[in-house]
Amino acid sequence: MPSLKDIKTQINSVGSTKKITSAMKMVAASKLRRSQEKAEAARPYSSRLEEMLYSLASSAASGEGIIKLLTGTGNDQNYIVVPVSADRGLCGGFNSSINRETFKLVKSLEGNGKKVQLMPVGKKSRDFFNRVMKDQIIKSFVDLNVSSTGYESALNISNKLQELYFEGKFDKCILVFNKFKSAISQEVTQQQLIPLDVSNSEKEEEKDNSSNAIYDYEPDEETILKDLLPKNVSIQVFKVLLESDAGEQGARMAAMDNATRNAGEMIDSLTLKYNRTRQAFITKELIEIISGAESI
Amino acid sequence: MATISFDLVSPENLVFNDEVGTIIVPGKDGDLGILPGHSKVMSSLRPGRVMVYNEDKSLIKSFFVSGGFAEINPEKCIVLAESVVEVNSLEKTSIEKEIQELENKEGKETEEQLSVAKAKLEAINVNYYDKI
Repeated sequence: MPSLKDIKTQINSVGSTKKITSAMKMVAASKLRRSQEKAEAARPYSSRLEEMLYSLASSAASGEGIIKLLTGTGNDQNYIVVPVSADRGLCGGFNSSINRETFKLVKSLEGNGKKVQLMPVGKKSRDFFNRVMKDQIIKSFVDLNVSSTGYESALNISNKLQELYFEGKFDKCILVFNKFKSAISQEVTQQQLIPLDVSNSEKEEEKDNSSNAIYDYEPDEETILKDLLPKNVSIQVFKVLLESDAGEQGARMAAMDNATRNAGEMIDSLTLKYNRTRQAFITKELIEIISGAESI
Repeated sequence: MATISFDLVSPENLVFNDEVGTIIVPGKDGDLGILPGHSKVMSSLRPGRVMVYNEDKSLIKSFFVSGGFAEINPEKCIVLAESVVEVNSLEKTSIEKEIQELENKEGKETEEQLSVAKAKLEAINVNYYDKI
């Protein structure tokens, strides 16, 4: 039977853990708000850019040069998969679900005879894939800190991707990331980044309704498209980074909320045990005193 | 006099959003002056100054953009730019230093950065369009 002191120590240690987790929850909650604001602020730009792109996509004739970002290389043999995880843990299943999903995707692509390379973003996925498929990693990005560095970090990734693409190192690029659904739920999503997926039926409809056809283009449609495509890749990466950042904070908040609640329950049950033990000791001592008095 | 709604958007935020009188944007083939009722144009931009004027043609603000796109229709003008700074907040000495550093390097990216930096310097030095 544990002594009173043991239980007391245990209560104290659970108590301080609870303090830490509840503080982390608060921090995550305020960071979540900030990341959400960032994601919100990026929306006008990306939606405008997308609209422009969709209205121009039809004018892309042949797959030469930069236009290849839209039309593809004509092959689909070499893939590059970019899992986007967090740099830090303690956020529930956030990182492990990304790693699991990516691993599954890679295996299924390889099962179909494709060649797959990896470009993990975030420490947690880098470390994971360093363990399981080290030789397939061509580059990794860690410590991005997207909420403070902003667009720069996305530019780095997209420049690297485009550089590899135009060197012919891969034909298709797929991002795996946590889509921010609400503060407490994230959804692991796959998005094809290169070549651009324009077969979005919703967008097609919008295009028909709007009157894009009568725009004048300066200098001309193709030149604009050539400027637009690389920017679109960067902005897509940026959007994904922001989503993932907001998702991370949300996941951490939920995980820490749970941990705080569990710690509270644990303290309650330990306190009960402590009081019972204390009562038992008192009873025992009383019996000893009484029986001692009786024997005199 | 009529006004035109003007949005200046960067990936990180909405920089400017208001009803204005006139806007001048640095189109790839030359500067575009945009007044209310402008015909529909979509243009890509070179690095340069975006000037915003109110209805009586006095300058409200001037921004430096590192390139981007402009979408113009009779009621609205939207400029998408990757990086936006107010011309007033640019510092001549730090840009000159940047240019010197870049001139010693090589590569395609450096070339682009150099042309942006040079355009920045020009944006500080010139003063045409201050009054129209």
